[in-house]
Amino acid sequence: MGDKIGICFYDSGQGFSDYFNFKELYDYASGLPQVTKIWNTTELDLKSPEKINEQIKEVNPDKMILAGDFPGEIKNLFVSAMSLAGKKAENIELASFVEHAYLNGQSTEMAKVVLLCAIKGVDIRKVLVPDEVDVHPDTLVIGGGIAGIQASLEIANGGQKVFLLEKTGTIGGHMAMFDKTFPTLDCAACILTPKMVDVGQHSNIELITYAELKSISGVPGDYKVTIHKKARKVNLATCIGCGICSEKCPRVAPSEFDAGIAMRKAIYIPFPQAVPNKYLVDEANCTYFENGKCKVCVKLCPVPDCIDLDEKDTDVEITVGNIIVASGFKPFDAKRIERFGYGKFPNVLTSLEFERLINASGPTGGNITFRSQDKKGNWIFKDGSGTPSKIAVIHCIGSRDENYNKYCSKVCCMYSLKLAHLIKEKIPEADVFEYFIDMRAFGKGYEEFYERIKQENVHMIRGRTASIKEKDQKLELRSEDILNEKIIEQEVDMVVLAIGLEAAENSNELANMLGIPSSKEGWYNEVNYNSNPVNTSTGGISIAGLCQGPKDIPDTVAQASAAAARVLQSIIKGKIQKSIKDIKLTDVETSINQLMKK
Amino acid sequence: MRYRVNPDLKLDLNRFGVKEDWQDCFHCGNCTAVCSLTEENILFPRRIIRNVQLGFKNKLVTDVDPWLCYYCGECSETCPREANPGELMMSFRRWLTIKYDWTGIARLFYKSLPAFLIAMIVVAIGIIVIGITKDFKAEAMMEFGHKFEKYVIYAVACLILLPNLLRMFWFVILKNKLKVPVFAYISNSLSLFVNLFTQKNYLKCEGDTFRWVEHLLIVIGYLGLLVITVFFNWFNTDSETVKWIGYIVGALVFIFTFDFVLKRSSKKRESSKFSHPSDWMFVVWLFLLGLTAFITRILVDAGAIENNLWVYFIHLIVIAQWGLLIVPFGKWTHFLYRAFAIYFSNLKQAALMK
Repeated sequence: MGDKIGICFYDSGQGFSDYFNFKELYDYASGLPQVTKIWNTTELDLKSPEKINEQIKEVNPDKMILAGDFPGEIKNLFVSAMSLAGKKAENIELASFVEHAYLNGQSTEMAKVVLLCAIKGVDIRKVLVPDEVDVHPDTLVIGGGIAGIQASLEIANGGQKVFLLEKTGTIGGHMAMFDKTFPTLDCAACILTPKMVDVGQHSNIELITYAELKSISGVPGDYKVTIHKKARKVNLATCIGCGICSEKCPRVAPSEFDAGIAMRKAIYIPFPQAVPNKYLVDEANCTYFENGKCKVCVKLCPVPDCIDLDEKDTDVEITVGNIIVASGFKPFDAKRIERFGYGKFPNVLTSLEFERLINASGPTGGNITFRSQDKKGNWIFKDGSGTPSKIAVIHCIGSRDENYNKYCSKVCCMYSLKLAHLIKEKIPEADVFEYFIDMRAFGKGYEEFYERIKQENVHMIRGRTASIKEKDQKLELRSEDILNEKIIEQEVDMVVLAIGLEAAENSNELANMLGIPSSKEGWYNEVNYNSNPVNTSTGGISIAGLCQGPKDIPDTVAQASAAAARVLQSIIKGKIQKSIKDIKLTDVETSINQLMKK
Repeated sequence: MRYRVNPDLKLDLNRFGVKEDWQDCFHCGNCTAVCSLTEENILFPRRIIRNVQLGFKNKLVTDVDPWLCYYCGECSETCPREANPGELMMSFRRWLTIKYDWTGIARLFYKSLPAFLIAMIVVAIGIIVIGITKDFKAEAMMEFGHKFEKYVIYAVACLILLPNLLRMFWFVILKNKLKVPVFAYISNSLSLFVNLFTQKNYLKCEGDTFRWVEHLLIVIGYLGLLVITVFFNWFNTDSETVKWIGYIVGALVFIFTFDFVLKRSSKKRESSKFSHPSDWMFVVWLFLLGLTAFITRILVDAGAIENNLWVYFIHLIVIAQWGLLIVPFGKWTHFLYRAFAIYFSNLKQAALMK
């Protein structure tokens, strides 16, 4: 084939040159005998197709390969330029690195594969097929939120064994904290708790709570996983959940489940519907671990030897064939933006706190009250401390902001609208102000939901709040009304900050342990965003839910089921593909040659 | 009035220091709300960014609000898109400066640094030629310098500054078809003078008091130096009072402009991160002006001016470049435009109230 092949490298400037070594790729391409000429878009004048044609016509390539992070961005220009030279659009091939080669650590090697396939005119999906090996039928699901629960149930209901690993004392995750779901206004707990009970009772699911992944070894299809079980100090098998221990425990700490707006004891059950519904001891806040005294809980426990405060952490090892990562997210820390006064003004609260406040199972029984101090000086919400009549919700806290997170957290607009509805439901005469930049009501029934909330007399203000000041125990919000070009200084009683979503704490550590790629923000990367959104480049490891990126509950559940389908597929087949990332350039060369011979 | 989207404006603006960051703006209104100077009917910078994005030139040229901003930089610091609204306002003031200038020379100088530098050299050569004709005699030179300063001031004020202010008036008040009550012209004139000499609105910018003090001292120093040299003939006076006042105002000028130069070099503050050549010329020449005047008078006192006439000679070149180029066509005009902008803005409010 005597075709003249030209390559044009393109860096869109979105920071992907950190992952792809363009210099190395350039050198690699120039070493290939088929390549006639290589350009760099930085050297070319890209103003118009005519200009490009002038610059490339000397070589007059028969085939032009546009290689880069997002080469599609310049494709149209080159299609026109090539047509001026009498070439067809088919003569342009894209070597899209981000689409096919975005892996941590070895992206450049994979980009070479992409480049080679483009030069040879081979579909990369035909050569990037890993070998298959036998698969162990058991599965590990990391994270017991709605994604982990859904995936576990799908696999377990399919008749396969699942280990469900959860970091805290109960499964349920963030969804358990929510009051209602949008846009249907279903009770979140009513959807979630039956699933949680199912998980707890399922014969195929082994629930491992209060534990974390310690290490992992082995190969796809046969992973040896060591799990570090933190000492719960309460015997899961014998605890009857009577609650006497907690009742008499002298120490309190902010409740994680109530997002810190109420207190719990040092020996506690995270929430009444917890699975497993057993107590655990919070070492950090227990008197016994401070001075070796107390042991009130041990003395009062009606079951002999049930509470053992000297219990030590243990490690267990399991063998699994597949792993589903569903490790979730972390809410944005509103204290980072001082202008909104979170942590300084008691009645500025985060959406997660408000979610607990408005929840019928929350500390105030769903009554919206002011934050007040208890006897020990802790700021908490309790019933009977007044009712706010003006509440503002500010969108995009920590999201869509170059100073914090650039991305849109996707769910905040909708949950803020939901909160507005719930406020109106609880206090019909209350004024609710929604401060937004753009209203993102994507999805089935969402726009309708937005329209419905507008009908409920919620004040929609286009314009982000710049700052919050406290004035005579009221909060004054200063913002610009974009639609009317006026400054609004609005006094309200309470402000809810619609905080965005961030990758979970230690998400990078987990990614490194599992060898799966993640984005700069810490979200885990799938093989292909469009066509393979659950598998990762490491064989046998799938991702589901928020750990992949911001998404709402329906999407999370759908993705969890998809991940489970992939796992079941491999178990039924008895075989699993090895890691894509382990495919070497030489392997690809061989398989390309084989394909060419055919 | 109907408007048309005009994409050419951005090409024009690029030459005035602004980068195209303003295209990133997604109109959240943070900058407007975070600004402590925004009020009813005075809204910036977001509204201006919008007009720039759409290229509404007519709307922009009649807008007086950019002059009301003192560039504390808070909008740029907190902008979620890093769209740099503060710097857009600064660039816009440069753009307005050239729009107000009837000669078109400011436009040339702002857009082309080489043109400006050539003009600076030509002026310097002119002074050298005059020096040659005067045989570089101290007495003759200083007499010439004294007269020169006086005539330049009158000429620049009458031929350039006054017509430019009238143009500004035309753009801001007449073009907007504002019917200002006659009484408002009089009632606001006092605040015009207060603002001209104190820039007191600056104090509304939170946390910028020190910068205002520095700025005020420079204004006092500069105007003091101007009056004392031009009307009291500082270099040749025998009055001890005049002499010492001259020393003080001269020192004020070069000490505080030196600090401004340092700030622009360090780029630590939001407001001094980006410097257009016109900013550099302004502060550096003001510094040179104060310093050379100060040294000249010391030499006069020491009786050593005859042997060190080159110092005065440099001073004269600096003065000529300052008076002929920087004052009429450079950044100096912001001194007038800022104060008059407040005046016109007050007139506008009065007209809208009616």
